[in-house]
Amino acid sequence: MTVPLERVLRAFLDEPTAPRYGYDLMKAASLQSGTLYPLLARLEQQKLVASAWETPQQEGQRPRKYYRLTGEGIRVARLELARSSRQERTPGRPGRLAPGSLG
Amino acid sequence: MRKPGLRGERALLRIGEYLVGCACRRLPRGTGKDRYREWVAELPAILHDPEIRFAPYRAVRMLGYAADTLRGAARTSGRTRHRPPAPLALLLGVLFAAGLALVAWDIRTAVRAPGHWPNYLYLTWSLFLAAWPLGQYAWSTARMTRLLFFGGLLAGMVVNIWTAVQAPANWVNYLVAACYFSVVLLLLWLMRRFGRRHGLSVRPGSTR
Repeated sequence: MTVPLERVLRAFLDEPTAPRYGYDLMKAASLQSGTLYPLLARLEQQKLVASAWETPQQEGQRPRKYYRLTGEGIRVARLELARSSRQERTPGRPGRLAPGSLG
Repeated sequence: MRKPGLRGERALLRIGEYLVGCACRRLPRGTGKDRYREWVAELPAILHDPEIRFAPYRAVRMLGYAADTLRGAARTSGRTRHRPPAPLALLLGVLFAAGLALVAWDIRTAVRAPGHWPNYLYLTWSLFLAAWPLGQYAWSTARMTRLLFFGGLLAGMVVNIWTAVQAPANWVNYLVAACYFSVVLLLLWLMRRFGRRHGLSVRPGSTR
């Protein structure tokens, strides 16, 4: 698992069911937009993240897009982060990704 | 949308929107419009971020966000290059060959008469003519080369008129000008036809 992906998953897991918008995630994960959005697109493609448009509160306001982890996303994120933590604790073994993991 | 509270905020937002627009032109047709809506909607939020007290830093951050979407779009799409359909590719190839031939001819003319300034204008125009077909293969450069190309066409027209005015008795000038205008009109017609059919001229805000 890459460091940016780990940061995004951790940001999501701070409040797993809460919808988060892009800029919010950028700040939480300390990532630039050019790194974050391709990651989100990939997670969405894998159905680990779902997105929705907000309803504008004021007339003329542009709706923002929110992201949240799906049920499967929460499960996979927790699993991957736990695996990553285990690998960090055993520095002698190089981290190898399991087939079908987030990579 | 919140009313801009700082001077120059609208201009900043426009710059941000322009950068996001450039990024979205790199994306495939289906996602470009969606991404544009999403990314542009974040710009005012960054400019009004209550967690950042220093306004110039908010502006820099917003512009940084917008500029970095260019990188993000390239990574998201997995393709920054666009391959036109076969008939258009053929037309572009012919244009490119014609452009190269014109460049060679204009270099020769400019070398023979270095003091005659319209030769340099002709050379510039032929360079644009050669560059434009290449630009069509990359979404990121298509708009700029299109602008340059049409700018070059207009410049060519001005030079032709100027040359004809300088020597009104010389019928060759009128023949060259007539040929030039015919070629320009033919090119415009072909581009309009192929561009519409194959959807080459697209803006990020359009329903492409």
